[in-house]
Amino acid sequence: MANKINLILKVWRQKNQESQGRFETYKALDIDTDMSFLEMLDVVNESLTKSGVDPIAFDHDCREGICGTCGAVINGQAHGPLKGTTLCQLHMRHFKDGQTLVIEPFRAKTFPIIKDLCVDRSAFDRIIQAGGFISVKTGQAPDAHAVPVPKDKVDWAMDAAACIGCGACVAACPNASAMLFVAAKASHLNVLPQGVPEKKSRTLNMVKQMDQEGFGNCSNEYECEAACPKEISVAHIARLNKDHRQAS
Amino acid sequence: MSYQTFDFNSSITKKQIVALTGLVLIFFVVFHLAGNLFIYGGPAAFNGYVEKLDDLGVLKTIAEWGLFFVFGIHILTTAFLVLENIQARGISRYAVDNSKGPRSLATRLMPYSGSYLFLYVIWHLIDFSWADQQGPRSIIHGVSYGLYGVVVNAFKDPLHSMLYIIAMCFLGLHLAHGTQSFLQTFGFNDNRFTPCIKKFSRYFAVAMAAGYSSIPLYVLYVLKV
Ligand code: FES
Repeated sequence: MANKINLILKVWRQKNQESQGRFETYKALDIDTDMSFLEMLDVVNESLTKSGVDPIAFDHDCREGICGTCGAVINGQAHGPLKGTTLCQLHMRHFKDGQTLVIEPFRAKTFPIIKDLCVDRSAFDRIIQAGGFISVKTGQAPDAHAVPVPKDKVDWAMDAAACIGCGACVAACPNASAMLFVAAKASHLNVLPQGVPEKKSRTLNMVKQMDQEGFGNCSNEYECEAACPKEISVAHIARLNKDHRQAS
Repeated sequence: MSYQTFDFNSSITKKQIVALTGLVLIFFVVFHLAGNLFIYGGPAAFNGYVEKLDDLGVLKTIAEWGLFFVFGIHILTTAFLVLENIQARGISRYAVDNSKGPRSLATRLMPYSGSYLFLYVIWHLIDFSWADQQGPRSIIHGVSYGLYGVVVNAFKDPLHSMLYIIAMCFLGLHLAHGTQSFLQTFGFNDNRFTPCIKKFSRYFAVAMAAGYSSIPLYVLYVLKV
């Protein structure tokens, strides 16, 4: 028999972008500890719907920690208390029976709240767009090893490519800075031979877009790294700082 | 595809300006402490050092203005960045203040330690640098001891010493974050060196705070004039 727990949820409810939000308290009863956090919200939503209350809106898609759609702040921590975990992969066994959970959306001026826990992260898309293309030959698929890439560069790029663009870095940063996201996206291409030709323009344009969107400035607090579900290192930020210095 | 070549408004450029000016100030802090420690050699040694500095004449003036400039840029750029950060966070705050990461007291207090130091430096300049070195404040037991006398007389007052020591504690906190932060901002972060640098940053900060604070403590508890 699976364990069951009861929880008290204080959830941020906000009708739309313009309206004022507030916390509402709900009970989450008989929650199976093998459920994920989102499944727990599903259960709560079902009972809310039955009692005629608007269900809690939250973003989700893959529910296996790879798409970056989910995310909320649980008791002040982006994606909850566990390191290296997205909200959809956070299981209820990490919470205690009778615990109160304060559930808030990612908060930043650049991430306007659409409804309840859903935020608009399209600023991230515009940063990616600003990064532009990479120069590759079209036509036949190239041989896998046609372009040799040193092992350390491959590892570095792969670590950066793990970024799922969830926005937890921005949510956790005291300055709402997007440096970890931008650094990961730039790093991912800047070190690979395929991404080198546009390195300079990519770096400058992405940083420029990031600033224009109104994200804060990194002050090396490293909260982003701690909140990142993919545990991307702030060493990537250092690299972006260096690439930017060399490009400008 | 268009991009600009140098953008002062870029967040990274601004941060690097803060880091670079910070580095200059770090060197100044070390140099200044080294000079201050002459106080342990007695009035002749200390005043001798002050005279040597004065003898530099124009060079000293240039260095002073340079420092003044660097100090100003460091503060103004930081103020700008902090304002932008407050704006970026927006009006809504998290209901629970619970950090998941390594955010330390030193990092949290950066703007406050910096502000206290800014006010402190102004007072310090009036207090010592621009003090009348032969005036009444330099006299100990009826004899003028120059700047040495001014310093000793100032630190005889426990309140004066306390304000100085608080400033030096803030200086330590500021350096603990700032020193290691410099390298990150300039793009150096390495699995092996970064942990060492962070450790060094902390020891260095404690050494500076302790070094400076030792002077008022020495005057209060050892010299007892
Ligand atoms: S829903 Fe895809 S990462 Fe959580």
